Amino acid sequence: MVDLRVTLGRLQLKNPVLVASGTFGYVREMAGFVHLERLGGVIPKTVTFRPRAGNPTPRTVETSSGMLNAIGLDNDGISHFREHHLPYLRTVGTAVIANIAGEDEDQFVAMAELLGQEPGLAAVELNVSCPNVSHGLDLGLDAQAVGRLVRRVKSACPLPIIAKLTPNVSDIVPIAVAAAEAGADAVSLINTIKGMAVDWQRRRPVLSYDIGGLSGPAIKPVALRMVWEVARALPQLAIIGIGGIARATDALEFMVAGASAIQVGTATFYNPPASENLLDELTGLLEETGVAAVRDIIGTLRSNRVPIQPD
Amino acid sequence: MNADPNAPAGASQRLVAVRENVAIARDTYRLRLDDPILARAILPGQFLMIRPAAEGADDPLLGRPFALYDVTTDAAGAPTAVDVVYLVVGRGTAALAQRRPGEQLSVWGPLGNGFGPPPAGPVIFVAGGIGQTPFLALGRWWLGKMSYGLQSKGLDPPCPGSAVGLSSSSSATLLYGVRTAALLAGVNDFRQVGIDVEIATDDGSAGHRGFVTELLARRLKQGERPARIVGCGPSSMLAALARLVEPFDIPCEVSLENHMACGFGACFSCVVPIRQPAGTIDLRRVCVEGPVFAASAVEWPASASPH
Ligand SMILES: Cc1cc2nc3c(=O)[nH]c(=O)nc-3n(C[C@H](O)[C@H](O)[C@H](O)COP(=O)(O)OP(=O)(O)OC[C@H]3O[C@@H](n4cnc5c(N)ncnc54)[C@H](O)[C@@H]3O)c2cc1C
Ligand SMILES: Cc1cc2nc3c(=O)[nH]c(=O)nc-3n(C[C@H](O)[C@H](O)[C@H](O)COP(=O)(O)O)c2cc1C
Ligand code: FES
Repeated sequence: MVDLRVTLGRLQLKNPVLVASGTFGYVREMAGFVHLERLGGVIPKTVTFRPRAGNPTPRTVETSSGMLNAIGLDNDGISHFREHHLPYLRTVGTAVIANIAGEDEDQFVAMAELLGQEPGLAAVELNVSCPNVSHGLDLGLDAQAVGRLVRRVKSACPLPIIAKLTPNVSDIVPIAVAAAEAGADAVSLINTIKGMAVDWQRRRPVLSYDIGGLSGPAIKPVALRMVWEVARALPQLAIIGIGGIARATDALEFMVAGASAIQVGTATFYNPPASENLLDELTGLLEETGVAAVRDIIGTLRSNRVPIQPD
Repeated sequence: MNADPNAPAGASQRLVAVRENVAIARDTYRLRLDDPILARAILPGQFLMIRPAAEGADDPLLGRPFALYDVTTDAAGAPTAVDVVYLVVGRGTAALAQRRPGEQLSVWGPLGNGFGPPPAGPVIFVAGGIGQTPFLALGRWWLGKMSYGLQSKGLDPPCPGSAVGLSSSSSATLLYGVRTAALLAGVNDFRQVGIDVEIATDDGSAGHRGFVTELLARRLKQGERPARIVGCGPSSMLAALARLVEPFDIPCEVSLENHMACGFGACFSCVVPIRQPAGTIDLRRVCVEGPVFAASAVEWPASASPH
């Protein structure tokens, strides 16, 4: 029996397989496809302070080995989430990580405070990076703002705090450093990458919002690179790898690159039981490889580059 | 019906074998999938997702939604396979047309709400383009010739034609509009089960030259008052249908074909503005709360543009 337990800051998971916010509905939609209690944890769709209608359709479009989305955080707000979704989520039999997005810092803090009083939550993930809702500067682009946010949320909420970072920056490391210094229990890497699809005949973008976030197998190399950069800069910081993960080998690539856990996202759309299948495969692969505990492989990747000797 | 509209009864994913994939009209194929589990569970108006890519291939990435065309049964009447009829319009359907008998496809379903029990009296189906597909199974069911989804009612195995204690509709007519006669698909299937078919084509190559809604307008003008009208097709056609039927006080349902990524409520791609009982308009997921809606509940775009 492989020991699958992993620890991310104050958060303990029975296995490293999570599902990504926005790709698993409010979890109840998935009950027919996945034995939810087997997953390491579930993360429902992002909740905002007030209800949001989201963007008009088309909200998604398929691209080469990926898809673009501009859902626009369509949700019924934090009150509805607490009344309608939390009671169900408490029954799923695994760690529930709420994912929240505020229009400003105060909304993040207010939501985290409310959730911190709710029983049955394992952690809060801060979505500081939604490419299709911010009107103006994205909070997640600014290391100082991310640090300040994490610090304020931590003092308002006793739960483990995960900062989910945007890849739409020239250097992810300073943002991760700011989150770590502010006391984040983990960072999630990555959210979707800004992109667009064009209908040249109509001279129009395909998505109603013009641009959207790219996800799926197409983004895996970018996500791996970012996880590795952050893992090398911050070996003590727990990382949750996200981006194009569909199979156990994808998960293992992220884990050796430095991720302590992973999230299955878009893969659920095109293979509804993907997360549970991945868990089975992962267990089998680790057994075959003779790995006794999955935590033993985290961050074991070594560079091919020959270090340049200082003279 | 499910108590929880967010939990489609028994939706599951499987790899199933292609039994047939044959051309039945221009760019139009009938795909027969060996899937007794789905065949036993699926109801007329529900749909399934089919992933056109081979197992392990990442392109085309997503599944595609298709309405139940019909269920086939073995000699004893037990459901064995599910038929869908599809038009090649893009990458996914083109890839699907390449799949050969014996190959495996990933499918998930049954999905969506499906139609309710048969209305007493005559019914009219209005189909535009490939929108005729839900009406074969629906016609067979509403005319009392076939029962579907009996597994979920605990009557297994079902026998075709067995009455389930429900009354049936007195007649069913399909008004079927396509661009040109070569695209007409399955007309004989409909006639064989006792559905009357009247055809419209844009170019006059078969039946009435003009829009399919003109066929309905003519009947309504002549005083025909069906117990139910059901439409499926491009949203511009459905919007015209809803406007046409509105003054007549005839219950009208539509089956929507919105763009979908998952088919089971997880992605929020497929939303449509639906008028709520309280009078507000809310974006609802077609894949869970639909694809069948009352035409009067849908907030149609002011000038719905054709696909
Ligand atoms: C509930 C439901 C039932 C359906 N039943 C059938 C059926 O029985 N037979 C059938 O042939 N088709 C059916 N469709 C439509 C079918 O799913 C699309 O034609 C298909 O997904 C197109 O895939 P593609 O990759 O070939 O096209 P793409 O390359 O994705 O698109 C090609 C063109 O088709 C349009 N398109 C894409 N998706 C849809 C869609 N969901 N609806 C309408 N237009 C779309 C695009 O805007 C584009 O213009 C149904 C759709 C839904 C939602
Ligand atoms: C349709 C869709 C909706 C998403 N919605 C959210 C969301 O509400 N909140 C969030 O933090 N991330 C959201 N994401 C991003 C995913 O959680 C994930 O970070 C991203 O898709 C990359 O992983 P993947 O390639 O495995 O999908 C969404 C992604 C998709 C495809
Ligand atoms: S298609 Fe994903 S929610 Fe409807």
